[in-house]
Amino acid sequence: MDKLFPTQEVGSLAKPTWRIKSLKGEIITEADRREAMAWGVKLELEELNKLGELLEEEDSAKKREKIVEWSALYAIKLFEATGLDIVFDGEQWRKEMYEWVIRNVEGFNFLGFVKSFDYRYFNKAACISKPRWIKPIYLYEFLFTKKHARKPIKIPFTGPYTLIDWSFNEHYGKALEKGSSNLRAQRFEGRKEFLFDLVKEVIRPEIKKLVKAGAGWIQLDEPAATTHPTGEEMNLFVEGFNETVAGVDCKFSLHNCYSNYGLLAQYVPALKKCSQISLEFANRDSKRLGMNGEIRAGYEILKLFEENGFKEKYGLGVIDVHTNFVESPELVRDRILRGAEIIGDPERVNPSTDCGLRTRSWEVSFTKLKNEVLGAELARKEF
Amino acid sequence: MIDGYFAGSFPRSPELIEATINFEKGKIDEADLEKEFARATDELVKLQVSKKFGYVADGMLRWSDLLRPFTTELGGIEVGALTRWFDNNTFYRKPIIVNELKGNKKIALRITHKNQLPRKVEWKAILPAPFTFAQLSENKHYRNKSELMFSYSKILREGMKDLAEADFSYVQLSDPSLVYRPLKGPIQKEELAGVKEALREAIKGVEVRTSLQTFFGDFAKILPEALDFPVDDLGFDLYETSISELGKYEFTKGIALGLVDSRNSVLENSAELAKIAKHLIESVYPSKIKEVFICPNTDLDFLPWKVAERKVDTVSKVVNALRGDLLG
Repeated sequence: MDKLFPTQEVGSLAKPTWRIKSLKGEIITEADRREAMAWGVKLELEELNKLGELLEEEDSAKKREKIVEWSALYAIKLFEATGLDIVFDGEQWRKEMYEWVIRNVEGFNFLGFVKSFDYRYFNKAACISKPRWIKPIYLYEFLFTKKHARKPIKIPFTGPYTLIDWSFNEHYGKALEKGSSNLRAQRFEGRKEFLFDLVKEVIRPEIKKLVKAGAGWIQLDEPAATTHPTGEEMNLFVEGFNETVAGVDCKFSLHNCYSNYGLLAQYVPALKKCSQISLEFANRDSKRLGMNGEIRAGYEILKLFEENGFKEKYGLGVIDVHTNFVESPELVRDRILRGAEIIGDPERVNPSTDCGLRTRSWEVSFTKLKNEVLGAELARKEF
Repeated sequence: MIDGYFAGSFPRSPELIEATINFEKGKIDEADLEKEFARATDELVKLQVSKKFGYVADGMLRWSDLLRPFTTELGGIEVGALTRWFDNNTFYRKPIIVNELKGNKKIALRITHKNQLPRKVEWKAILPAPFTFAQLSENKHYRNKSELMFSYSKILREGMKDLAEADFSYVQLSDPSLVYRPLKGPIQKEELAGVKEALREAIKGVEVRTSLQTFFGDFAKILPEALDFPVDDLGFDLYETSISELGKYEFTKGIALGLVDSRNSVLENSAELAKIAKHLIESVYPSKIKEVFICPNTDLDFLPWKVAERKVDTVSKVVNALRGDLLG
C-alpha cells in the first residue's frame, strides 16, 4: 500500500446484542431489532428486510449461521464506513480467540473453567494427543470477508505460542515422562515439542489454505509472547513464529499488547518475514495535545525497538480501547507524528487501535475509528 | 513424619463459578453467594479429611488473589490495576501503598473461616510472606520496599497471633517473589538477611508451627541462607527448583515438597513422584529423616476443580507410598 499512514483496527469488535441473543436462542426484543435496523441503515446495507425476517425466525442451526454472516457483514461495513484502509470482519465468527481455534482442532479436550481474575474465568483445554488439523478454522470467514469487503483485508490469526501457553500440556507431559528428576527441563521440552507439532500439524496447514484462497496478509496475535520472561521461552516464541511463516508467500505481522515491551523489543528483530508489529501505545500515553517526549510519553518505548534493530513497520496504537474517551483527530495526529519522529521514517507508521475494540459499544468504536482516520489525514498534511 | 497438605488456594467448583457470575450480573445477592462459598468450602474440607491430610485449610475460595484480603482491608492501601501474576495467564490487583499500613481487626481470622474447619483435625492458614507482599505492591509511602516489608511484618504478626489463639496450629507464609526473578538474577545475600529479619519480626512470639513456601522459582538459588530462616519448615516448587542442587545441602528443618504440578492437568505417576521424593529426602536428611510434607507445587486454582481433586488424590498416594518406603 503506497498511501502514507494506512489505518487499521487490530482485534475484535463487540458482538451486537441481536447476534448474541440469536446464537443463544433467546428472544429478540423490539429494542434489539431497532438497533440492528438503525446500524444497517447507517452502514447503508442492502436488503435489511431479510435480516428483519431472519430475526423473527425460530431458532435453528441455519438461522444461527445466517446471523453470524450478517454480523460479519455489519462489522466489515462498519470498518469501511469509518474510512479505515485495511479491514476484516471484526472476528464476528469467533466465540473468542482461543476457544475458536481449539474447538476446531483435534487433540484437545476442554477441562473446565479456571480463574483469570476476580470472578472472571476462561474455559481451558488440555492437549491430549498430537494436534491435528481437521477442518478450516478461519477459511470460511476469510472467504466471506473477501467476497464482501471493498478494501484490502487482513486475517487476525491466534498465534501458536499463545495457544500452547493457554492450554494444559498433557500429551507431551506424558510422552516425556521418563523418570527424569529435572522436572523443569522436562516441562520445557514438552512445551517445545507441543509448539512445533501444533505449528506443523495445524497452523501451517490452515495458513496454506488461506494463502491458496487468496489471503495476502495474516496478523499473528500473540498476547502471551512475554508471559515467561526468560531467554529460552522468548526464543521459543521467536522460533514458533519463524517456523509458522517459513516458505509461505504471504505478508505477516505480529500483534501483542499490555506486555513487557522492554523484553519484546529485544526479540522482534529476530522474527522472520514480520513486516509489521502492532503494539499498544495509546494506553500508556497522555490525552494532551503536543509532540514533546513528556506529553507523548507512551511512544518513548519505540526507541527501545529501534535501538534493538527492528527495521520493519509499526502498527502504532493511537486509540486506547479500554476507555470511552474518544481521541480527537488532533490527538491522533500528534501521536502519529511523534511516532514517526522517533522512528525517523513516516513510511513505517501504520496507525492502529491498541487492541480490539470489543469492550466498547459500536457507537464509541465507530467514533474512535473515524477519528483515527481523520487524524491520519491531518498527519499526512505534514508531509 | 510424612504428611500431606495444601500449599495454596483451591479452584472454585463449577457451581461456585456460576454463583460468582450470577452475583456479578445481579441475579443473586451476597448472602446467596456466601452460601455457595460455604458449601464448596465444606466439600473441600471433607476432601482433605478423607485424604487424612496432616493439616486442613479452608482452600481460600473467597480470595481473588493471594494479597487481596489485605489489599482491600488494610488501611493505607488503594486497590490498583490488574497485573500479571508472575508467569501465569492470571492476574491480581496491585496494592498501592499510599499511607502507613494499618491493621484491620482480626483480619487473618476473618479470612481463614475457622468455623468451617472441624475440631478433630489440625488447622492450617496461608498468608502472604513479607517479602512477596512488599515486592508485589507499588510503594508510594515508605522510603523503600524494605521499610514497607517490615511494616507489613508487624501486621502479619498480629494476624498470626490471632490465628494461634484461635487454635490454628500451622501458618504457611507464601513467598514466590523470593525465588521468581527471571530478569533480576538471584536475590543478593544482604537482601536475604533483610528477609530473614522481616520473617523474625512476623513470627516473634507467635506460638504456631510455621513454614515458608516458595513457588515459581528455584529455591536452591537462595541456599544456604534460607536454611537459617526462622520458620519450622521450608517449601519448594520442584518443577522450578534444581533437585540436584537442593540435594547438596543438609536440612535441619522440615521440608514441604511441591511435587504435584498445579499448573498442568496431566496426572502424574505417583510411584515416579515418590521415587523422586525419596531420593531428595535421603539427600537432604543424610542421617535421620525429619518432617516431610508432600503438597502441590503452588495454588491449585490454575486447574479446574475436578482436576484439582485428582491432584489431591495424587498427593495422598505419594504420601502413602513414601510412608511405606521410608517409615516402614
